Amino acid sequence: MAVIEVQDLHRSYRARTGILKRSVKEVAAVRGIDFTVERGELFGLLGPNGAGKTTTIKMLITLLLPTRGAARILGYDVVAQAREVRRRVGYVFGGDRGLYERLSAMDNLRYFAQLYGVAPREQRRRIGELLDLVGLSGRERELVEGYSRGMRQRLHIARGLLHDPDVLFLDEPTIGIDPIGARELRASIAALVDVGKTVLLTTHYMFEADELCDRIAVIAGGRIVAQGTPTELKGGAHDGHVVEVEVYGPAEVGARDVRALAGVRAVTVEERGQAQVLVVQVAPGAEVTHAVLSCLDGATVGKVATREPTLEDAYVALVRQA
Amino acid sequence: MTALATITPTAWLRIFFVGGLTSYRALFNWIRPAILIPTFVVLPVFQILLFVYIGRSARIESDEFFVIGNALQFAATPCLFAMADTISGERQQHTLSLILVSPAPRIPLFLGRSLPVIANGFLASAFALAAAGLLLGIRMPLAAVLPLVLAIAVTSLSCTGLGLVNAALGLRVRETAVLSNVIFGILLVFCGVNVPLARLPHWMAVASGYLPLTHGIAAARRMADGAPLNAVAGLIGLELLVGMVYVVLGFALLQVFERESRRTASLDRF
Amino acid sequence: MNVLRLIARGWLLQVKMMSRSAFNGVLQIVWPLFFATITFLMYGSTNQRALVSAAVGASVLGIWSSTSTSGAAVIQRERRQGTLELLVAAPAPFAATILPVTLAMSTIGAYSMVATFVWGRLLFGISVPLAHPLLLPFAVVVTIVSVGMLGFLLSVAVVRFRSAWALGNMFEFPIWLVCGFLVPLSLLPGWVRPISWLLAPTWGVQAIRAAMLGGSPLPAIGLAALCGAAYAGIAIGLSERLVRAARRDATLALS
Repeated sequence: MAVIEVQDLHRSYRARTGILKRSVKEVAAVRGIDFTVERGELFGLLGPNGAGKTTTIKMLITLLLPTRGAARILGYDVVAQAREVRRRVGYVFGGDRGLYERLSAMDNLRYFAQLYGVAPREQRRRIGELLDLVGLSGRERELVEGYSRGMRQRLHIARGLLHDPDVLFLDEPTIGIDPIGARELRASIAALVDVGKTVLLTTHYMFEADELCDRIAVIAGGRIVAQGTPTELKGGAHDGHVVEVEVYGPAEVGARDVRALAGVRAVTVEERGQAQVLVVQVAPGAEVTHAVLSCLDGATVGKVATREPTLEDAYVALVRQA
Repeated sequence: MTALATITPTAWLRIFFVGGLTSYRALFNWIRPAILIPTFVVLPVFQILLFVYIGRSARIESDEFFVIGNALQFAATPCLFAMADTISGERQQHTLSLILVSPAPRIPLFLGRSLPVIANGFLASAFALAAAGLLLGIRMPLAAVLPLVLAIAVTSLSCTGLGLVNAALGLRVRETAVLSNVIFGILLVFCGVNVPLARLPHWMAVASGYLPLTHGIAAARRMADGAPLNAVAGLIGLELLVGMVYVVLGFALLQVFERESRRTASLDRF
Repeated sequence: MNVLRLIARGWLLQVKMMSRSAFNGVLQIVWPLFFATITFLMYGSTNQRALVSAAVGASVLGIWSSTSTSGAAVIQRERRQGTLELLVAAPAPFAATILPVTLAMSTIGAYSMVATFVWGRLLFGISVPLAHPLLLPFAVVVTIVSVGMLGFLLSVAVVRFRSAWALGNMFEFPIWLVCGFLVPLSLLPGWVRPISWLLAPTWGVQAIRAAMLGGSPLPAIGLAALCGAAYAGIAIGLSERLVRAARRDATLALS
């Protein structure tokens, strides 16, 4: 049985506009998505801001009711059996909100342990373990208002793990954390999967998704536009490559011609300082560098490089297409 | 303050009026019916009713005594709170330092901010006076209306003075809301709002003479009883004088604390 | 049992949080003292019984003040600090996470009760009679709990208003007046009386008065408890509906 099953899930919001003439507009945030996550899997949900990632997570952890479709966590329906779902899932979001600032980390954890019905006798041991796990031992008596961003984030993780949930939802957990802190956090997430937890992760950092996720769904405009292992999404890392060309001057015109070239899978234009960079994804075996350069005839061309495709290339291409 | 010399009178006036209104709207974006009605309609009326009934129960003074006392005090409250909220609000939005580094002259900068607040307090006061008068069936001589308006206006001004002092202290202390509430409470106890001055212990009665509100309320009560304006001119003058002393004191403190905050970097401390 | 423990823990943490804020700490004690002082000065020393009766009312008004002014904004505060979603996502009943907050607020208000009597004793020479010393603590606890329940009801009733805090302030004086804290109920117009009877603070202050000045506090204690239980029942129902509506309308998060 799949741990997370999502079938044709929809969610729309009502947005009110105007003060005098109230008009209600339905905004669809999630427009019919399907996916399943198996036990012990680390599943990534990638997508731009406003794509529907957080809305999806909130439906799965019972904070939002779907407007259509169904979702089950460990076999429990997120609408009809919300209580059962809540007992078994943990939720951690990034940023520094969601903590009681004027309480110590210890008090925050104790309170949530109580909320999740962790037996009083077990609380002390469990909290101690988690403080060790997230590296906050020794600081647990300090008020949270004095905590750094990274410490808060680690406290969030500890909070999400208090009741030893089978499934963890991590919504951009590494946002705003310094590189070393984020690296440690990623190690902790990987460790969770090693002990058999199922994790659903959203992130904006592609290398992070690439490093951690077993499978990824890319969501854009409320729909899943691609799904697969990171390797699959990269279009098979072994049989393709990427050509990057620095262009000074308008690159869009040339990009249109490049897209039409045989052997070119996708083209994106990125701003990089003074220059624009044409990122051309090339099918295996095709040799397009010369053709690309001739398309850019007239523009000043800087550095030209060939490299392995990354998840970010695939992601950018998918989201642009959507 | 040296910048004052280089700023033209029109610019000065613009800072006073437009700047005042803009900042008021920025900081008091909560002026909506959902807040206005509870805060400036329901609460004042019930405050008056509460004290009228205590007065009846304790068998002191007439209903009118409490209506006028509390109505004038409503003029005071917004001035007191709003001035301090100006400073602490700017501080919370991290805009205080931006304002203080600007070369804008301080007098129109701050007094301009008090103008909408005075208008606000004035309206609250007039409304409470009318509503409670209607509820309790209090008749006031029609001729007393204009002089009463004057009394309310002068009292609002003097309370703004105290509000400025409060605001200046806001540059120094974090919990200005506590301070505002304490000052509000002191005015409520000392200034003859509900407790007749004669019932105050001697030292409190003496102290009340140095606070805004006291003379304004006394003047308003006598005018409501039919005393002509010239009979209470002395009281109104005293109210104005007390208010001016606080305005000057407030600005002096603002100057001192502003300079000090540059030295001790306390401006953005939370 | 688990729910009770949760309420107790929540209450303890809330009391902790509140006592760490100067605003709550100082003001919660000082604010009621201003009104107590005014009341004492207005009643004067001529009528000792009326004065003591008013002193009881003045001591209790702080309990309602702290509950109403902050109670109305409880849920919005949780939403602002991002904890509301976490509370709802937990398997514990939502009511058990909000009730402790208003209970803690009414408990904090009890500080002012002691402060008022000390103040009245020291500055105004008000005697503190104890007709039923054993029933007094009981009456006080029942009053605090039932006022906390009223705050709980208020907090879930006003949550739809964006400016709930303004409503909280609005309810401060009316309850003081209508529940007969400072004025005998007999002085108010007759049509107010049924409203007073529905309000737990009315019975709470009567119970405390009877426990101090003499009379039988038990009926009033019972009625205060009854009101409190009724409020709790209604509020629990409302809070469940509230959470359901919030899941439907996506109003849990602040965005």
